[in-house]
Amino acid sequence: MYKNINVYTKALNASWKRNEALANNIANVNTPGYKRSDVKFQEILKESLQETAVQGAKTHHRHLDIGAKDLSNITHEITGSEGYSTRRDGNNVDIDMEMAEVTKNNIYYEAVSRQLSSKLNRLRSSITGGR
Amino acid sequence: MFNSINVSASGLTAERLRMDVISKNIANANTTRTVNGTPYRRQVVTFETKSEAQSFQQHLSNQMGKFSGVEVTGIKEDQSPLKNVYEPGHPDANEQGYVLKPNVDIVTEMANMISATRAYEANVTSIDAAKNMAQRALEIGR
Repeated sequence: MYKNINVYTKALNASWKRNEALANNIANVNTPGYKRSDVKFQEILKESLQETAVQGAKTHHRHLDIGAKDLSNITHEITGSEGYSTRRDGNNVDIDMEMAEVTKNNIYYEAVSRQLSSKLNRLRSSITGGR
Repeated sequence: MFNSINVSASGLTAERLRMDVISKNIANANTTRTVNGTPYRRQVVTFETKSEAQSFQQHLSNQMGKFSGVEVTGIKEDQSPLKNVYEPGHPDANEQGYVLKPNVDIVTEMANMISATRAYEANVTSIDAAKNMAQRALEIGR
């Protein structure tokens, strides 16, 4: 029952962490030699969903999962980038890109939290029988 | 929980200090005599990622992927040569009539000022984003 809610929570945590990473990139926009960092979650979620594409059929309740990865085990990852810098000070932060990512991340957070809210509302409505 | 706001705040502090130093450079663009008698030298702020871990806790939080923002490591003097301007009537002129003027280039300072302003604005926007996210999180389950 709470499976989806757990995934939403993980997505929200990852998005929150990503906002921290982007804030750090923006704060260090003038620091010589700084390399940007990011938080990866959607790729990890996608991978774990693709793994469930090949799934062993369960004909008995004591069968083990085949291929299906438990979604409750996934977590976000902090990635650094040693990528090429187009700036002379060795910093590879592109402020326009960072601002765009902040906006995207904000909207993503809002979308996921609305999903979570409506999920909770549906639960509440089924508990109260629609009253 | 408020780490992203703290990180952006460190960026605000750093950019504001940079702006202060730029103002100081512009204000002293023609100062030929400072406290120690020499012409004013342009000052530069140096930034560094806040990460030099000293305590165990800092090491731990770095390992846990805590982002710590930016800090100013110092205000240093620009050691490029001073400008030698021929101005015989100037009280600070030497025997040949040359005055040592500060190595401040107004255009460079203006460009740096715009850069600092924009970086400051970017950090403000980032704080706004974090604030919106926190407010949205408070509305979950309403």
